[in-house]
Amino acid sequence: MKNEKKAIVAAGLVIGVISALLVFFGNPVNMGFCIACFLRDTAGALGFHSAPVVQYIRPEIIGLVLGACIMAMVSGEFKARGGSAPVTRFILAVFVMIGCLMFLGCPFRMILRLAGGDGNAIFGFVGFALGIFAGVFFLKRGYTLKRSYKMPALEGQLFPVLQIVFLILLVAAPAFIHFSTEGPGSLHASIWIALAAGLIVGGLAQKTRLCMVGGIRDAVLFREWKLLMGFVAIFASALVMNLILGAVTGTPFFNPGFAGQPVAHTDGLWNALGMFLAGFGCVLLGGCPLRQLVLSGEGNTDSAVTVIGLMVGAAVAHNFGLASSGEGPTSNGKIAVIIGIAVVTVIAFMNSRKKAD
Amino acid sequence: MTEYIATFYSHYGAVCFKKNCEKLGIGTKIMPVPRNLSSSCGTCVRFWMEQEFSEAALELNEELEQIVQVEGDSYRALYRSEE
Repeated sequence: MKNEKKAIVAAGLVIGVISALLVFFGNPVNMGFCIACFLRDTAGALGFHSAPVVQYIRPEIIGLVLGACIMAMVSGEFKARGGSAPVTRFILAVFVMIGCLMFLGCPFRMILRLAGGDGNAIFGFVGFALGIFAGVFFLKRGYTLKRSYKMPALEGQLFPVLQIVFLILLVAAPAFIHFSTEGPGSLHASIWIALAAGLIVGGLAQKTRLCMVGGIRDAVLFREWKLLMGFVAIFASALVMNLILGAVTGTPFFNPGFAGQPVAHTDGLWNALGMFLAGFGCVLLGGCPLRQLVLSGEGNTDSAVTVIGLMVGAAVAHNFGLASSGEGPTSNGKIAVIIGIAVVTVIAFMNSRKKAD
Repeated sequence: MTEYIATFYSHYGAVCFKKNCEKLGIGTKIMPVPRNLSSSCGTCVRFWMEQEFSEAALELNEELEQIVQVEGDSYRALYRSEE
């Protein structure tokens, strides 16, 4: 048990360092990792949306899935499973992404934004925690999407193989793949550095089951703090690395404040409500976007469907003008988040049995 | 007293199993699944029984994944649901 705790903290520290270094190597500021943003960029590169500033096949995503897949195979934990309410998971994922793009980041980036001094992420964190409390409320009332079942091995292998196809498309860069020439999508570490970072973090996250949602959920449900300590470790090491990089390079990597933060807006209410939706939906899905990528690498086809739902959610968010920008949230985005909270609540209610305890 | 762990496909299954164990006078603790038992991050029930494990002595539900006996740092598989 103690070793498990040490492993989670050590993994969190390493992941925080890697996240800060990815910014040093070219990723957008406070965006060493952002599962929501990177899935959105990949969706854009494939032409699922046409926002020209956020289109790039992110090697970090490819690495995360393949790193988790390799680690799971090496440790005999790769199991093709699925069949636990895939359509419900798809819909939940679409709204989780809409919530994330209201805030402009997934739970992972929320931590990295805090470590970069972005005070707006405090509102996001409060909303995220409240969303998890809402999810736990339904868990305690018997919420379940029912069990998953064993699938043919090929079914579990397809999603990792798809990542290899994405890598080939990234390297080959055919004309039908879109690459941003300006904006966040144009800012990235080199392919091989980003891929290596993804592989390492994917492997570590598989080994430790690191999950941004699971940390708070377990603390609330069981008074169990292990996973949450991984969360804290990422924050601490990214913060220290930002300070070190700032001192060494002369470029500030830690900018405390609210206004003018990179790829962020200052509307506290909608930052909170966006992450409320994300936290709520993720509890019902059983894990944050990072965890869904890792599980999809372990052969979990329900998580693969969830990741596809996240990508579709990103496309919907940009095609329908729901995603926020540095200017702030959009009216369409606010309506979509309110609809999302209502839909997620109905899904939680409809899948809850009688009060379990 | 022998120690066992039951893992589940859902949190709800774990809560139901815990309640049934308590009705049968079996001591339980609900908690996250230990990492060395599974890569899943679900909920498990740790429970203690005087007598030898038998399926008939417990009320097993459809969300139950497996039951193992705790032997120091390792586990001995006793029951696994049909895949």
